[in-house]
Amino acid sequence: GRVLCLSWHPSGTHIVAGSIDFFRVIDVTSGQTVQRIMVNHHVEKAKRECVVWAITFLSSGTVVSADSFGRVQFWDWEQGTLAESHTVSTSAMLSLAVSEKEDSIIVGTSTGATYQLQLLPVKQGGQEKRWVRTKPFQFHSHDVRAVAHSPTALISGGLDAQLVIRPLMEKMQKKGYDAVLRKFTFPHRRLVSCARKARLLLFQFSQYLELWRLGSTEETGKDGEVLSLCRMPEHLVQLKSKGPEHIYCSCVSPCGTWVGYSTASRFHLYRVRCDGDSVSLRKVPKVPKLLPPAYQLQFSADSDSLFVASARGSVHVFQLLEPGGCKHLHTLRPPSGCSEAVYLLAPSADGHWLAAVSGDWAIHIYNLKCFKHHCVVPTYNCAVSALAIHPSTNNLVIAYSDQQLLEFSIPEKQYTSWSRAVQSRGLHRAWLERDSPITHITFNPKNPSHILLHDTYLLCVLDKSLPLPDDSTLLMNQSTLKQLPEMARKRQLHAFKICKKFQPLLFMDLLDENCLVVVERPIMDFKTQLPLPVQQKKFGT
Amino acid sequence: MVAPGALRVVRCGGSALGGARAVFSADSKQVGYLLFASGDFVKVYSVSTEETLLLMGGHAGLVTGIQLNPHNHMQLYSSSLDGTIKLWDFMDGIPIKTFTVGSKLLALYAVASAEDSVFVVIPKKGERDTFQLVSVKLTKGAGQDLEGKELSVVLDGVGASMKHIAFGREGAYVVSVKDVNLQVYFFKQKLLNRFSLNTMKTKGGDNRFSCVMCHPTEDCIATGHADGKIRLWRNFHHRKEYTYSTLHWHHDIVMDLAFSLEGTRLLSGGVESVLVQWHNESSCQKDFLPRLGSPIEYISMSSDGSLCCTLHEDNRITIINSNLRFSRSIQGLIKSKDVKTGLVVDPRTKALVLNGEPGHLQFYSTQTDQQLFSLDIVQRQHVHQAGLKQLDLVKVAFGAQGTWLATVEESEEVTDPELQLKLWFYNEETQSFKLNTRVNTPHDSHITDMCFRDVDELGEDSLILVTTGRDCVFKVWVMVEDTDPEAQQSVSWSCDFVGSYHNYQATNCCFSEDGSLLAVSFEGTVTVWDSLTWDLKCTFCHPPGNIRNICFGRLTCSKYLVGATDYGFLCCWNLLTCALEWSAHLNVVVLQPDPLSEHIAAVSWLSKKSSLFVFKPSEPRPIYIQRNLCKEKILLAAFVPRDEPEVISSEKHLWLRKSQPFFLTDTQELMTLSTKSLEERLTPSSKQLAVEESLPVTPFSVLLGKHRRQQAQEDTDLGKPLVHSKQEQASPAVRELLHTPAHVLPSASFLCTIFINSLLISKENKSAEEVADEVEMESEKAEDDSDEEDVTAMEQEDTSHMEFLGEMTCKLSKSQEKELRKIRKMDYSWIAAF
Repeated sequence: GRVLCLSWHPSGTHIVAGSIDFFRVIDVTSGQTVQRIMVNHHVEKAKRECVVWAITFLSSGTVVSADSFGRVQFWDWEQGTLAESHTVSTSAMLSLAVSEKEDSIIVGTSTGATYQLQLLPVKQGGQEKRWVRTKPFQFHSHDVRAVAHSPTALISGGLDAQLVIRPLMEKMQKKGYDAVLRKFTFPHRRLVSCARKARLLLFQFSQYLELWRLGSTEETGKDGEVLSLCRMPEHLVQLKSKGPEHIYCSCVSPCGTWVGYSTASRFHLYRVRCDGDSVSLRKVPKVPKLLPPAYQLQFSADSDSLFVASARGSVHVFQLLEPGGCKHLHTLRPPSGCSEAVYLLAPSADGHWLAAVSGDWAIHIYNLKCFKHHCVVPTYNCAVSALAIHPSTNNLVIAYSDQQLLEFSIPEKQYTSWSRAVQSRGLHRAWLERDSPITHITFNPKNPSHILLHDTYLLCVLDKSLPLPDDSTLLMNQSTLKQLPEMARKRQLHAFKICKKFQPLLFMDLLDENCLVVVERPIMDFKTQLPLPVQQKKFGT
Repeated sequence: MVAPGALRVVRCGGSALGGARAVFSADSKQVGYLLFASGDFVKVYSVSTEETLLLMGGHAGLVTGIQLNPHNHMQLYSSSLDGTIKLWDFMDGIPIKTFTVGSKLLALYAVASAEDSVFVVIPKKGERDTFQLVSVKLTKGAGQDLEGKELSVVLDGVGASMKHIAFGREGAYVVSVKDVNLQVYFFKQKLLNRFSLNTMKTKGGDNRFSCVMCHPTEDCIATGHADGKIRLWRNFHHRKEYTYSTLHWHHDIVMDLAFSLEGTRLLSGGVESVLVQWHNESSCQKDFLPRLGSPIEYISMSSDGSLCCTLHEDNRITIINSNLRFSRSIQGLIKSKDVKTGLVVDPRTKALVLNGEPGHLQFYSTQTDQQLFSLDIVQRQHVHQAGLKQLDLVKVAFGAQGTWLATVEESEEVTDPELQLKLWFYNEETQSFKLNTRVNTPHDSHITDMCFRDVDELGEDSLILVTTGRDCVFKVWVMVEDTDPEAQQSVSWSCDFVGSYHNYQATNCCFSEDGSLLAVSFEGTVTVWDSLTWDLKCTFCHPPGNIRNICFGRLTCSKYLVGATDYGFLCCWNLLTCALEWSAHLNVVVLQPDPLSEHIAAVSWLSKKSSLFVFKPSEPRPIYIQRNLCKEKILLAAFVPRDEPEVISSEKHLWLRKSQPFFLTDTQELMTLSTKSLEERLTPSSKQLAVEESLPVTPFSVLLGKHRRQQAQEDTDLGKPLVHSKQEQASPAVRELLHTPAHVLPSASFLCTIFINSLLISKENKSAEEVADEVEMESEKAEDDSDEEDVTAMEQEDTSHMEFLGEMTCKLSKSQEKELRKIRKMDYSWIAAF
């Protein structure tokens, strides 16, 4: 029959595979089915078929199945007997995950509810333990397609495009960032790339890419005014990915003539030609095969080369050739070796340096002139969420997922004095308590002390020349500053200038000295595209 | 015993059952008892026969907890606000021991694992509204009255209700809930764990605890909450890693919870009057028993799990089978939210009529303490939810010996109430009232009083209904022939006359005994109208103060009109002279004339005590005064005519002869006055039954033994007195037979001989052989006779001594003759020997 889910026994000797109305246990060494268990055997006159949507093999030999009848059942696979059955919900169970200690299970249902089941002692001091459905959670509006169980949190993702992390309060030692319920709608990744010179934007969707030319205006106006466009934004081309695979990463070159993307298995490079109104897209032939494909793509500032982040901490450098070709130039590897893939890249504007962040959170800096490893930024115990190299000073600005900001001077191989000042003084508490990490960093070429940062909810201009705010002052003081007289305003100024006008913010970049592009993705846009949620009666039985 | 001459105040019904959970007796026999606290008493009720067997009184305060003695299931502990714990033998209804604790006891728990102590909730000394759970060591000592002063505090800061504490499996731990806090104390580990919920009322939730119950075999606590959720707590040994799951069906507060014997089922009940059964702690599998009538207050489970019972807010008890089927209900006086109708006597059944279930009229029999029937007046679905304005019955009156019934219902809104006047005709065929006329908005404002002109001599045509309203008018309603041939009924009611007086609000109305005069009080003035011409005859006024009650005198005193005013005056006007005859300073709350005599009862409320004054309007001096009738405020009174005039020895109490007064207090307890002592009042048969069932031998062996004893005492005289005494002996035996459930009776062949023996006349000096022969010979006949006697005995239960005797002699002549003949034959030889 159709296999809908499977799970390995922790020892690796058996696989359990869930199908419709039954599941099978397969011996790995012989490849034979050693047990076949009907899940709706005892349901009399079961007209509907019972789909085993999720299954898990526990180390004790118990098989936990979650089925479309809303049951979570515990089976002894060797005997083929049902140990326990819990009708958790009237809607189908779609996903199941078990904690590492195997004392807690989370299941997701088609109504968007998740339930926790716990293995609890029946009596205090007694040996007998029983699975008990304990906490229900309703964080999703649609199917919960995937669940995960970390030692301290329940994680669920659903069709409603939300990832929810619900911490288990009883496992929390102290209150902190981890002890708060988190909901994520957007990935903490760059989904939009911008060709500054050509004023093009590349949008990455799950199955296709869209290339847009930005509109422009010749007027200027005051704060808050909407300027009339002299040229309308233009949808240039839609590039559909072949096959079922999702697009993993994409990039457009600063000159706007190259577009590259990568799926889970393949890497593609295209040459874009804009002749007036007609746009032509041509696939670059003979792209070197990469195994595994790219985790991140980045063109150099002069659009001469392409950096491809790859597994084991390596970065491939391709040289782009006119009129449409490419050549593998070099592979940069960390000297000590690394098991994790590179997921963030930042080239310098002068084409001299490249910073690469791998999954073990180490930041390696390479010298591109001689393709040599330059140095390693001291490792911090948090993931890097964004980084960029300053075009004039070649300082690397790093944003971490715990909202820390660091500045590292690449030529001097040390933190800058401003960074040290920030560390010694500490950032504002309101800044540190923010929910979403910084996803993109860019600089103002006109004013080298300005750093532009953004996350999903705010856009910030960090002015290094101004004093840092302390906890007693207001972090978001732009509206109060406006009302103050000139003199008082000067006294109140601090380094963080925050704008919350655009939400949710997907992308922000400085096109030229007086032009900033901001990409917003209203949540309602895709909420309306979701299928109807399961209707549930609130009252009545 | 009460000294002769003194009247006893007897509480005869309607006591609040809300004191404690009911308890099922734990005997293995199928015949079970249900014990419940009822006011100051504990009632023992037979589950199979639906009869109250015993009333165990002795506490001087409200009984707050009853629990079976875990070490002896034939004994019962009860606690009371009077500060004592009593140990009862509930089979015999005798108190075994009384332990005086000293402070108020608010709840009682008896746990098997605690050897010689029970747990009670007492108020904490020196702090108001703080309560603690203490264990009381019950000292073993001789004598009935013992001290229970060895207290040790188990938990502090507990709730005052018995529902807020529960003991876990095998008494290993105790749980207490209060507000949003839950505390668990483990006896063995001496560990106290506290958990609290969020106090925030988010999303309409309200996390306050309302009740708690423990799983009988597992470490699991079920708690009910104010927003209708039920939480099942587990793993509460850990302060941090405790967990709970939630069941939610109730829309309002969960009043009580109960686990089944094995703990696989959980019962919950609340204001919705639906009993919910949850299976396996799963929210997907649940069963319902809806339409239980009124909000559920307590749920209790029998020890074998075969029955459960729910105590309701209106003092009803429902017994439910294990398969969630309604089995029986015990209902006395139904407690309604507010008795607006007053206490009215149905002339037909002599039942007290008052508000029952919402929108219903209950007919309550004072003799049997049972509800006769409930009449749906409003005929609308009642939704049990706070804050809803619903129609309620406010006034009721009977006319023409109970053939007509008038009811007024109004919505609870203060301004612009929705009013309806309904007239019901008694249908002899269906034996119930049928709606005849419905008048929408009979008055523009609330109706304050209503009465029928009820005169036998004038025939049914003279039937007149008068209503008074706050819209400053009184209206006269008469029957008219229905001209419409299509109409199903021949008569209907319509308004005939509208009267008013100086635009004062009409407050009371009353017809004189002969129906010629109508008295209507308008605020401070009483107006008297001629009922034929509707002319205003005269007015009476006794300022200051508005008239609260008026009534005409009866019989010899029919020329008097009595009124009570707000400012504490009782006035009596002479209608012939149109002058005030006398007045007395008395704060009268209730003024109730006896319909069968000239006596009028007035109940006053002074310094937190109710006092009763009985007087004749012709004399300003009361003929009977009972001060301190009770501590509660008496709101209503009624005289229920007796079937037979009672024999009253004392001159002072002659006013009780024809009718019996009943009083309803603000706590909806019904009280009466009795000249008899407590022992006399209790029916001997029920008492005896309880005694005999507790014995291991069958009731018949007892019966037989007693009978033989009786025979030995009897002398040879075979005159009429002997026959009479025989009959008296037989009647309880017969009653016993009829009362004992069929499944516990021995075989008929065994019964037969006993039966016959009991009916035979003593044969002291006869030889055994002779007797045996004769018994066999006569057996058939005797049986026939006995049947006949049964019937008569039953019929004559209530008749007087004299009648009983007369009738019996002629009835029994046949068998009697035979016996006499036989014995005469024997006697000669016997006398000759001397």
